[in-house]
Amino acid sequence: MTEPSLILAAILIPSLGALLLPLIGAASKRARNAIAALLVLGALAANVALMPSVFGSSQIVEASLVGLRLVADRLAVFVGATSSLISLIIVIYSFDYIEHYDHQNEYYLMVVLFLGSMMGLVFSGNLILLFIFWELTAIASWRLIGYFRKESDVLRANKAFLVTVFGALLMLLGFVMLWSATGSFDLAEIKSHLSGSPISDVALVLILVGILSKSATLPFHTWLPDAGVAPSPVTSLLHAAVLVKIGVYVFARLFVVNFAYSNFGHTLVLVLAAASALVSAGAALIETDLKRIIAYSTVSQIAFIFLGLASGTTIGITGALLYILMHGLAKGGLFLCAGIVEHQTHTKDITRLGGLRHQMPITALSFLLCALSVMGVPPLGGFFSKAMVIMGAADAGRPWIAATFVVGAIFTILYLFRVFNRVFLGESASGAHPREGSRTMVGSVAALTVLSLVAGVAINWPGKLAELAVTQMLGVVK
Amino acid sequence: MTPTLHILLAICLAPALALVLLLIPSRARSLREALAVVAATANLGLVATTFGQQSRIELPWLGTSFDLSLRVYHTASFVTTAAAGFGLLVTLYSLPFMRKHSAHGAHYALMLLSLGMANGAVFSNNLLLLLFFWEGLLGTTYGMIAIGHAGAFKTATKALIISGITDLCLMLGIALVWAQAHTLTMTNLRLPLEGMAPAAFVLLMIGAISKGGSMPFHSWIPDAAVDAPTPFMAFLPASIEKLLGIYLLSRLALDLFELTPQSWLSTLMMVVGSVTILLAVLMALIQKDYKRLLSFHAVSQVGYMILGIGTAVPIGIVGGLFHMINHAMYKSCLFLTGGAVERQAGSTDLASLGGIGRKMPITFACFIVAAASISGVPPFNGFFSKELVYDGALERGTIFYLVAVAGSFLTAASFLKLGHAAFLGPRDKKNDGVREAPGAMLFPMLVIAGFCIFFGVNNAFPIDQLIVPMLPEHLIAEARSAGTHFSGWPSNPTLVAMTAAALLGALINHGFGVKLYGSGLHAADHIHDSPGLRWVYDRAERRWFDPYELFMRGSAYFAQAANKIDRANDWLVVGLGRLAQFASRGVRAAHTGNTSAYIVWSLIAATFIVIYLGQ
Repeated sequence: MTEPSLILAAILIPSLGALLLPLIGAASKRARNAIAALLVLGALAANVALMPSVFGSSQIVEASLVGLRLVADRLAVFVGATSSLISLIIVIYSFDYIEHYDHQNEYYLMVVLFLGSMMGLVFSGNLILLFIFWELTAIASWRLIGYFRKESDVLRANKAFLVTVFGALLMLLGFVMLWSATGSFDLAEIKSHLSGSPISDVALVLILVGILSKSATLPFHTWLPDAGVAPSPVTSLLHAAVLVKIGVYVFARLFVVNFAYSNFGHTLVLVLAAASALVSAGAALIETDLKRIIAYSTVSQIAFIFLGLASGTTIGITGALLYILMHGLAKGGLFLCAGIVEHQTHTKDITRLGGLRHQMPITALSFLLCALSVMGVPPLGGFFSKAMVIMGAADAGRPWIAATFVVGAIFTILYLFRVFNRVFLGESASGAHPREGSRTMVGSVAALTVLSLVAGVAINWPGKLAELAVTQMLGVVK
Repeated sequence: MTPTLHILLAICLAPALALVLLLIPSRARSLREALAVVAATANLGLVATTFGQQSRIELPWLGTSFDLSLRVYHTASFVTTAAAGFGLLVTLYSLPFMRKHSAHGAHYALMLLSLGMANGAVFSNNLLLLLFFWEGLLGTTYGMIAIGHAGAFKTATKALIISGITDLCLMLGIALVWAQAHTLTMTNLRLPLEGMAPAAFVLLMIGAISKGGSMPFHSWIPDAAVDAPTPFMAFLPASIEKLLGIYLLSRLALDLFELTPQSWLSTLMMVVGSVTILLAVLMALIQKDYKRLLSFHAVSQVGYMILGIGTAVPIGIVGGLFHMINHAMYKSCLFLTGGAVERQAGSTDLASLGGIGRKMPITFACFIVAAASISGVPPFNGFFSKELVYDGALERGTIFYLVAVAGSFLTAASFLKLGHAAFLGPRDKKNDGVREAPGAMLFPMLVIAGFCIFFGVNNAFPIDQLIVPMLPEHLIAEARSAGTHFSGWPSNPTLVAMTAAALLGALINHGFGVKLYGSGLHAADHIHDSPGLRWVYDRAERRWFDPYELFMRGSAYFAQAANKIDRANDWLVVGLGRLAQFASRGVRAAHTGNTSAYIVWSLIAATFIVIYLGQ
């Protein structure tokens, strides 16, 4: 396959294939499950197949979709491969998790469609295309959050949808402002037209509202903890691996790769990120719902990615890219562990859980290791990303912002150990004896844990990819 | 073997064997034990053979900015060999001690992992790589405490949180170093203390002294003494963590930064050291549990090392570093005697011990040697390192010296109390059947006690061959030109006389206490009950001053405030939705569903548009 067709394959295999899943599901559940996983695997394979040419040379692969430009540079392929890898594990986990519920056809349709739109967004080289895929992910996630269809679930799904779409519409206004200033929606054309001069602060703030609402950053973050009513694989997909990374990715795509922005903008992003990291970390220490705690943790950790990107330093941006990978793996693992606990004990209230280490040893160990990765404890991968974004902030001449994030990192240790101790250690609270999750579920969790560990011990591989991506992003090598 | 392979094996072999060990089923305990002993021995062999070698190893790691940079040189060989030696001895000791423990395999695996991490941290020539191994010890510490008993995870979490916080300070310090120097290669760093460098120094120092167990980052150690298996105490807090912490502190003070005696940072270190010496030993004095009493000394003694290195004068630094190795010996030996008593007599509560010295003569003899060393009695090793520290402290300020001597007085007093209460005095009936510990436990104690005597009587060997070569050239030259000699009998007879007076005072004090209360256990009660101190002691025992408790209380307040902000934020977001609903209510009234009304509306609108366009 030629490289341009690989891009199209990465986007179209999941997004068009998803539409067939309900039809297949009507015939055979097993076939549908297998094909859903194959579709995601197809997207992953396309991304991996793009790697040699994109990372091997400084070439940027281009293609077009309905006449609009698609771009596969190192950043896009890095994020695309990361997202599809984690999505694949989540889909496999879903086989057992979702088995006992209704509307499975819709579930697989939406999950795979979600990944397909994510791929489209990642490779978009045009703001309109980007916006369309952005909204497609919003629709898919809206259906998925309200999957259980209880009144309160639907309300929360609506909340998530309305907040993110509100942000997206403001972002669209920002895009229109860019268009009126430069006469194009194509990123490359806008870039050459601007030729390094910063975009207006109004456009920046409008686009930022969209990004922050999608990436659940203060003050638009509260939909994310509420969205914990969704099935666990979905929260994992939305909160950890893919959805919240959309905003981060677009920030990198627009404001690291293409546009310059004012010093005011830098300060704004850093201060909002710092506030987000602290407030959500504190909130995580109060919550008693397992999935809400992990969701607040996501809000807090996303801020670290913004910190790295907005620092503007090579090391900070490299750290941010690694953070996308490491956080996706570890946080995905945490949510899936929470899913096993919820599935086996039928509760998410940590005050009613305890002592599960004995019944669920593998889940407990996986949770502990993923939590250590989120905290940034070596030899797990999270260590490197955290250290590098903090170094980036210090390097950007903002030691106080770096110190604030260190406080955020301290709270990360506090709230994650609070959860681990309550749920897995101590005495069993209810006296019930839940069993370990199914083999597929525990296997998925263990896979994410092992990947977190390998990513840390063999940091030279992901580190090299991230470094290559950053040299291209900052235009060091043309 | 190439140097690269050699050093990589030193770092990776023990952790790799630890993973193998975990695969061995718990039925084959002896196989696990054999593997642990082999791994610990191999580890010792690998690091001990690096002595005298000088090499640098650069391997690709985290992109181009950060190489996996390792350096073999005297200091690293010395520190890792000492760590490996303690690792092997504690492994041997664990054979009988941990035999029936439910987490048998985890104990050995975590020990081997820790040894690998310690080697990695010391051989690192890149601060980020050092941090990688350094922070890696968080996990093994947590695990080794948590396996103590069912509720030990609380103490393990406390240890992890305290060390995690200080490791993050270390990370921030490294970030500031990077911002200033744009390199983290340790051999290329020599930062003048200006700009952000003093902040970086303080942050790195926090990481170093916290690993050493200094106040105010100490409070998990006494708790771990009660909850963790005793070999852990002898292994990490007593020896390896001290070695690592003081190693990093010495690198900071000696070559990463340009520290001079005139710097306020030097004074800061001396203040931290002095406060730690005094407060921790005061707490040790009133303890009623063998291991808990020892653990406060593990805190107090690190104060001498920080004080010595903080003086930034050659004699003080040599004293601090010599005290590091001496302390690792006598303190691990003391914990090992504690473990022997625990295993044989079934308790470490001093009230239920007493009079077992005759039943356990070898343990008692080792205790006497180690206790005399820690109290600074000549000719044992602790005496010589303390005298060097005193000399350095006196050069910088009398007050520091006086605090250090007061610390010695109290140390001696508390060990007289401990030895008296545990080994002498009347014996409880239930302890009549107590027997001496098994050989595998006695051997490590005897070896270490032997070293305590050897390093004291023959102190020229450790000081001249091991410690002084750790100093940078300019300090050695400075000392040489001033005619300072470090080894041999202390040069200042006044200081020796003062020490003798302090020790004698402790003996008299003990006699007085025993006479007053009639038992060794209560021999220090008159200090505990003295006016003023009693009030403080009462509150200290209720953990009023535990920095960890204070921090946790503060963080709870913070969390509540954050939760309020978060809820207010949510209220605003939801409120925006409500506002939209409210605003739509007015418009809704106009939508009657009546077609003619809609036509009228449209015509009116069209008229306005026509008028607007016509203008």
